Amino acid sequence: MVTFLNVVIAGLLLGGLYALIAMGLSLQYGVARVLNISHGEFIMLGGLTTWTLYTAFDINPLVSLVIVGPTTFILGFIIHRTLFKRLLSSSTSPGIFESSSMLASFGLLFMIQNIASIAWGPEIRGYSYLAVPVHLAGAVFSANRLVTLGFATVIGLAFYLFVARTRLGKAIRAAAQDPATAGLMGVNINNVLALCFGFGAAMAGIAGMLISMCYPVHVVMGLEYTIIAIIVVVLGGLGSIPGSFIGGFVLGIIGSVVTYIDPGLSLVAYYLIFILLLLVRPTGIMGK
Amino acid sequence: MLEVNNIDTFYGKAQALWDVSLRVDEAEIVALIGANGAGKTTLLNTVCGLLPPASGSVEFLGQRIDGLAPHSIVELGISHIPEGRRLFPHMSVSENLEMGAYVHEAWKRKEETLRQVYEMFPILQERQGQLARTLSGGEQQMVAMGRGLMSRPRLCMFDEPSYGLAPLLVAEIFRIIQGLRDHGITILLVEQSVRQSLEIADRAYVLENGRIVLEGDGKSLLKEELIKKAYLGL
Repeated sequence: MVTFLNVVIAGLLLGGLYALIAMGLSLQYGVARVLNISHGEFIMLGGLTTWTLYTAFDINPLVSLVIVGPTTFILGFIIHRTLFKRLLSSSTSPGIFESSSMLASFGLLFMIQNIASIAWGPEIRGYSYLAVPVHLAGAVFSANRLVTLGFATVIGLAFYLFVARTRLGKAIRAAAQDPATAGLMGVNINNVLALCFGFGAAMAGIAGMLISMCYPVHVVMGLEYTIIAIIVVVLGGLGSIPGSFIGGFVLGIIGSVVTYIDPGLSLVAYYLIFILLLLVRPTGIMGK
Repeated sequence: MLEVNNIDTFYGKAQALWDVSLRVDEAEIVALIGANGAGKTTLLNTVCGLLPPASGSVEFLGQRIDGLAPHSIVELGISHIPEGRRLFPHMSVSENLEMGAYVHEAWKRKEETLRQVYEMFPILQERQGQLARTLSGGEQQMVAMGRGLMSRPRLCMFDEPSYGLAPLLVAEIFRIIQGLRDHGITILLVEQSVRQSLEIADRAYVLENGRIVLEGDGKSLLKEELIKKAYLGL
């Protein structure tokens, strides 16, 4: 029973990160219609930037949130404004935009990865922060992982409230459902799409910052997280932000259970779930 | 109030409007009639900015608006209630209405406007928490009209508001449109119920294959031979 509880807690800790990453991709894919293959690269940028700030400038990783978050947001916003906005206006149909934007994001992956490898080199980087043991339900977890879960949950809930309650949040939902009609309501659609892309990038950057506190980070770490994010977004239901949030925790717990049985099998299990999901319920948990 | 001057509009390479001119004066109801594919929706889409004209000009209250993005045109006071309602399906009735008041000026007064819309369509107040996609066709049309009014427009463009509705509801919709004009809102109406639109319209234009072929006041168009033959089945 105690072991079971441990596995679940470990799953929640992992799930918080997955939820944050997937919400970011959900904004980029669900609203801006960009299946952003370079999503994980923003995670990598967030992680390595946090590492540099901590080891070279002695800046507390949690403080670097206020640097990493806005920087990745601005980067995402500019990328949408320069690259994806142009692709969108030159695409004759939404389907064409989805495929051309995905290919473009593949290009972004290589560009960001190569620039990062010039800046940081191929070494695996890590540091120790808040690695103190905390006893919870009879098991020991390190404090930094609990902090990670706390941050991911707060950011997830705050964003959910933002989207559910505020004027801009409603514009985001309207744009996701019908961009042309949202424009007729007075929503500046290009701005909203760029904002969503920026928010998505910032969530990835912050997730990278949190990941760097618990796991080693390196230049080619991104793609694995991108794949996990895609699986969670499909699991939770395309375009559903609460779905991505819940889906993240579901996949985290599954991952934790599988890791308990055999650590090598977690990615295999994720793919298996992904394939089963596409066969049985392609609309996902909260799918419409 | 609205002046469309010699516009040509294209869908990609296909020309849909040829040298179309049209005028709507303050507090008028102007009907635009024509067969399917004649270019009625294209004309409304050109005015609201979804489909900028290749040549010609569109002026609203003396200002050029062709080339502006849809969101800037709404801000100037033109509301477009699109064909097929185009509600946000996963939003509630009240959220759909709120989206109608998205422009800053309207957002400040949205509680007040919402009350007026609920007075006009009491059923929407009962349904306010319900998701738009679960409503009946008639209720959806009411949400679409209410949402279009939430921006407190000077000019309302309706695209086939009676499409697919039962005759009783159709009459209701026409009554409401007349009521809006009595409140000082100018109306540009695209309709397939030709007789009813001509009965409430001050003036009307007939569009055929992307060109204006006839214009005149509503009552006299009703007696026109071409209209009788082509649209009234007489």
